[in-house]
Amino acid sequence: MRVEMLGIVVDFGPVRAVDHVDLIVETGEIRGLIGENGAGKSTLMNVLAGSFGAKDGEIILDGRKVHFTGVKSAMASGIRLIHQELNLCNDLRVFENMYLAQELIDKMGLLDKKSMIERAAHVFERMGVNIDPTAHVSDLQAAQKQLVEIARALLFKCDIIIMDEPTTALSNYEISNLFKIMRQLKDQDVTFIYISHKMPEIFEICDTYTVLRDGKWISTGSISDVTEQEITEMMTGKTNLADDFSRRISAKTEVIAMQAEMLSSKGFEDISFDLHKGEILAITGLQGSGRDDLADALFGVIPHSGILKVNGKIIKGGIRGFLRHHIAMVPRNRKERGILNDLNIYDNMSMGYFNTRMKDILIKPNKEKSRYIKQKLALDIRADNAKNLITSLSGGNQQKVILGRWLEADADILLFDNPTQGIDVGTKFEIYHLLLRLAAQGKTILVFSSEFPEIMKVADRCMVLYKGKMNAMLERKDITEERMMLYSTGANFNADLHTKELQNVPTAK
Amino acid sequence: MSQQQSSLSGNSGPRGTSAFKRLFTEYSYFVSFVLIVVIALIVNPNFFRWRNVSNIFIQSASTTGFIALGMTMIICAGQIDISVGAQVAIISGFGIEVLNATQNIWVMLLFCLILGAVIGSFNGLLVAKGHMPAMIATLAVQTSSRAIINHFGQGGPFSVAGGIASKPFYETFRQVASGSIRIFGYALPYPMLMFIAAALLFGLIMQRTRLGKHIYAVGSNEVSARMAGVNVDRIKIAVFAITGILCGFTSWIYSSRLMAVASANAGNLFEMDAIAAVAIGGTAMSGGRGKIIGTFLGVLMFKIINNTLVAAKVPTFLTGAISGGIIIIAVLLQSLRSQGK
Repeated sequence: MRVEMLGIVVDFGPVRAVDHVDLIVETGEIRGLIGENGAGKSTLMNVLAGSFGAKDGEIILDGRKVHFTGVKSAMASGIRLIHQELNLCNDLRVFENMYLAQELIDKMGLLDKKSMIERAAHVFERMGVNIDPTAHVSDLQAAQKQLVEIARALLFKCDIIIMDEPTTALSNYEISNLFKIMRQLKDQDVTFIYISHKMPEIFEICDTYTVLRDGKWISTGSISDVTEQEITEMMTGKTNLADDFSRRISAKTEVIAMQAEMLSSKGFEDISFDLHKGEILAITGLQGSGRDDLADALFGVIPHSGILKVNGKIIKGGIRGFLRHHIAMVPRNRKERGILNDLNIYDNMSMGYFNTRMKDILIKPNKEKSRYIKQKLALDIRADNAKNLITSLSGGNQQKVILGRWLEADADILLFDNPTQGIDVGTKFEIYHLLLRLAAQGKTILVFSSEFPEIMKVADRCMVLYKGKMNAMLERKDITEERMMLYSTGANFNADLHTKELQNVPTAK
Repeated sequence: MSQQQSSLSGNSGPRGTSAFKRLFTEYSYFVSFVLIVVIALIVNPNFFRWRNVSNIFIQSASTTGFIALGMTMIICAGQIDISVGAQVAIISGFGIEVLNATQNIWVMLLFCLILGAVIGSFNGLLVAKGHMPAMIATLAVQTSSRAIINHFGQGGPFSVAGGIASKPFYETFRQVASGSIRIFGYALPYPMLMFIAAALLFGLIMQRTRLGKHIYAVGSNEVSARMAGVNVDRIKIAVFAITGILCGFTSWIYSSRLMAVASANAGNLFEMDAIAAVAIGGTAMSGGRGKIIGTFLGVLMFKIINNTLVAAKVPTFLTGAISGGIIIIAVLLQSLRSQGK
């Protein structure tokens, strides 16, 4: 089906999220929709999927002007949106989720479970994944949930499939299967709009691209005519953004700040490492590799067995015990675990100070303000008025506030768990520079990340986890995307995939 | 520059707003308060007579005033406590027994505060350590407290011993709720002074102490609060314990005002009135946001509405329906406004 979106305008309050954007996609085309966070990609696609209405503009499908009143009416026109966030009901079974609000009914008016389960199983078979349609969604891994989301869109015949970052939790194998299905459907004249931040995927699967920036259309063209560098420049509006991190100077000292011996907990086992003062150690691994659990254990969120020492002293207890040893964490999932939505910027930042260093009975607004201004300058936080709610800030600035919270609490060992999640490219680079600067100031830093380019920019060493165990500890010169992928997928255990080039890399064994 | 702009589109929270707009959004309870006072004045031209005003304060302080201050903390922490009415019943009943036995109003006060702290902490422990939903935990405490005091009172009243012996403490105790200090020709009743002082103290706690900030943090997002190093369990126990202590204090004044407390209906529906006052005062029922000043005005609004309905000679049994309607309107306005953004 041919899609024409013409002159689309969407406002959120005073903010124009999409500003007169045209998007024309031909039948059977796979269009990559590219832009930084907040560029308006998801908003534009939500308009096409009927989730919300545009203030202005029109949608034309195969030459026929349409007007969607909601998601259901868009679905009726053959449009399916696979959401970035997982929108599954955890307490329902897989097939119940897939058929939610579109349940199959038998002659008696009752649910036709048998057909639903069969059809769901058939879709999984096509995708080459092993998910039981009668399993409870709460028992699935994040990657499987993402696959269920995708399968849901494939259940019914549709003409346009919009995918909003569908592969964030998937392994390479699952991604290649997904691409296979996409190509099959493309041959059946299904049109795709594919949103992703991963350049290699865009270049592999897409025919054409459209770049948005600040809610405006920037360019459209054929993928074969551009390079990654050109697309990045279009996205950010800046040239030479990719600063050279390769010549950075490591601030690693000989002093050992943190020592882990045979740490085990739910999700990982027998992890040992020495962390030096001023070092930036990255820890990576796929979903389910135990990376999240290790991060939590190193901040006392979950208990561990084994020995964890900071400056030679054994640490015990929960989060508050870890804080006393000057360990702090900028958590993953900023919205759910980091920020305090209902509190203003001052209080969000001061929370760490309140819990660690505050001696007075009453909070002194003047001191709170001067602490804030100090961090605002140091971290370049962009906020008009610190009395506004933290949610008035962009993701990157929220993250800086959380970081400032711990700097004010005198943290020496900083854990960053997926620190650039949902942050646009420009601010990401600022965060990388901040990490390097903090290390140079003598802070010890642990970065938990699944973004390999990020690790290559900042890490002095990189630990790769696979199935809860340390699979490799890469020194800086050995950190490459290929090796990190090799060890995080466990492919080094598979002789066939063990290429000669990689044989020299030392493993943790 | 592009970055600055793109950062704007990711959210829809309130940005810099004018003072006038703030009055109607953040401080809407103040607007409703003025509105209700104006209506009260129209219905009852004698509204501003000192006797009427001080009476409104005495009524507030001897019933749900103090409790609503604690309830604000509880709701800001994302919890609820429906046991407060039954707490007042059980504390008042036993408190009067203690008074009769010791003949000392201060011993009685101490007893009330301690018993309140014990019941409140028990609520808090059930919620924080037992991971029970606050509604269910406090419901259980409510029914059992009421049952216990009914058993000891056999449904009848606990009375402060007075009569022929004309014990001096009888009059001393009556003064707690009825006494006053005379300043510039105005009689300032003790309960009024205590209520205002408590509101100021709680306002200070919520805005300027670590405890207050922690309460907002826990109510806003428990996980984030824990990740920021807040001792979430301790905060939950604290808000229930503080509210229990306030129930104890209320019981002292309440008993003094009535001098005889019926076990079966003492403190009846206090929880609902307190929650309503908090809601009218603009505190988010989902936790994380709310102000003591809002609750303070909310409590007064509630009493002003009742006072006005009496002055307007609305049949007694119907007053509840009308105040219910006013709560709906007040809270509906706030929720519409927060949806409208």
